[in-house]
Amino acid sequence: MVKTFVSITILAGFLGILFKKNVFMKVIAMDVMSTGVIAYYVLVASRTGWFTPIVSTTPKGAYADPVPQAVILTAIVIGFSIQALMLVGVMKLARANPTLEIQAIEQSHQP
Amino acid sequence: MSGNDLEGLTILAIALPLFVGFSLYLWPKGDRYLALGVGLLSGGYALLLLYTNPSQTIQLLDNFGVTLLVDALSGFFILTNALVTLAVLLYCWSSQRSAFFYAQLVILHGCVNAAFVCADLISLYVALEVVSVATFLLITYARSDRTLWIGLRYLFISNTAMLFYLIGAALTYQASGSFAFTSLTTAPPEAIALLFLGLLTKGGIFLSGLWLPLTHSESEAPVSALLSGAVIKVGIFPLVRCALLVSEVDPLVRLFGVGTALLGVGYAVCEKDTKRMLAFHTMSQLGFVLAAPEVGGFYALTHGLVKSALFLIAGILPSRNLKELQQQPIHPPIWSALVIASFSISGFPLLSGFGAKVLTMKNLLPWQVIGMNVAALGTSISFAKFIFLPPGNATTQTVKAGFWGAIGLLLGGLVVANGVYYQAYTWANTIKPLATIALGWLLYFLVFRQLTLKLPRRAETFEHLIGIMSLTLIALFWLGAA
Repeated sequence: MVKTFVSITILAGFLGILFKKNVFMKVIAMDVMSTGVIAYYVLVASRTGWFTPIVSTTPKGAYADPVPQAVILTAIVIGFSIQALMLVGVMKLARANPTLEIQAIEQSHQP
Repeated sequence: MSGNDLEGLTILAIALPLFVGFSLYLWPKGDRYLALGVGLLSGGYALLLLYTNPSQTIQLLDNFGVTLLVDALSGFFILTNALVTLAVLLYCWSSQRSAFFYAQLVILHGCVNAAFVCADLISLYVALEVVSVATFLLITYARSDRTLWIGLRYLFISNTAMLFYLIGAALTYQASGSFAFTSLTTAPPEAIALLFLGLLTKGGIFLSGLWLPLTHSESEAPVSALLSGAVIKVGIFPLVRCALLVSEVDPLVRLFGVGTALLGVGYAVCEKDTKRMLAFHTMSQLGFVLAAPEVGGFYALTHGLVKSALFLIAGILPSRNLKELQQQPIHPPIWSALVIASFSISGFPLLSGFGAKVLTMKNLLPWQVIGMNVAALGTSISFAKFIFLPPGNATTQTVKAGFWGAIGLLLGGLVVANGVYYQAYTWANTIKPLATIALGWLLYFLVFRQLTLKLPRRAETFEHLIGIMSLTLIALFWLGAA
């Protein structure tokens, strides 16, 4: 069930990258896709249990797998910094192409 | 040398460039000298790896930590990176670039080194993403509108590809409980398809690599040289490594090698623009690296040296249009450098391109032979365009000393690297490349010189590139499941 929603999020993001005409919207769509991927990692981590994996003397029950969580934390940081960089790039691009239509941009930069 | 020394040196080769890169913001005056030091250090480290030929796995931070694998293959790739970076540095030495440029150069250098030693999916992911960011900043250094778009397009495509890669990594972990490359043996076909989509796109392979020509041809000359010589190989190296570690993916890697060798060369023979031809030709040469993974390291080294030399030379030619260049004589020293590089890449004896080609051809599987020979023929046809340009006394050709330093380093490397595989020099081995070159030149004069075929560029538009990604994913899944 959750897996279906995660898949739908990833797919929706990808289709957004493909079909949106505006570069800004494409960047946002990529963010949606990356949200889906992050959610998938959380899902993989919760296979073994729900409890936050913190070492203590009394075990609380089935712990979540810490490895995917640790990994995706790195990926989140990288993802959002790239997102920020791309948005800055798009803002700069908007000065020459105020509509940010991808076809117009590609035509004006075709060698 | 003990294992601990090697471990320390490996960490130094990755961490020092990053440390120096960030220190350059604090001490911008030392930019070029520090960058030079970093380049020399990783060059020395790579030579040490090639000399001692270790095969050591380094496990950092206990279980589930970072896994590195250091061997001669990494040595070849790191040496390529070091020499190309040094050449680019010499080329830019007196060009008044800001410390920001050198800082990015050094950071990029460190991350590319990291990608060449890591042996688990997540360290590789981190290295690849930082490579994307640093490359974006280098492409857009010129701050023109065009370079901004080219850089943004590059970053967008590589980040989308890396999202697929991340899903693949999660699936691999789910199946085997580990992120190491070796866990691909137990990974389901969809995981391999997703991981390969990421790496193929990042490495500019086959249809999913069609972003490469525009990016590599429209950047400035030194950046193009760096991208084509060293940076593009961050996507290639993991594919080679996986093919060697996991025999299940070996046929897939070889297949894509042949495919991209033919596709790239097909575009290259028809291309009339120098830099675009070089960029398409990069795609084809990466195919040679993948077609025979066992000997891919040496091929990658010779390709990196020769392609960055060619990009630097193409940057100072009076025009980018080959038709115009046939009318304009080129200054003789520049012409001879161009011809030496073109001879090496065509596989002419006495230069290391010959040894690399012979070695690759010897390690092909029977079904690959025809395709790769056609690709080699295409190479000699496309470089006949450079070899038969007229030399002569151009009136206004001033070249900086740094240019000759860079070209000397790269072409000198080509001659010295000959020694790696000196066994190639037998009569039987020598005749075949010469025959290929002769046939290529003949075809050039009879057919391709007059040919004005303009291949469509629609497949290189952004939306098509993203669309191709989904198609490649489906194709990979079929190939993996079969």
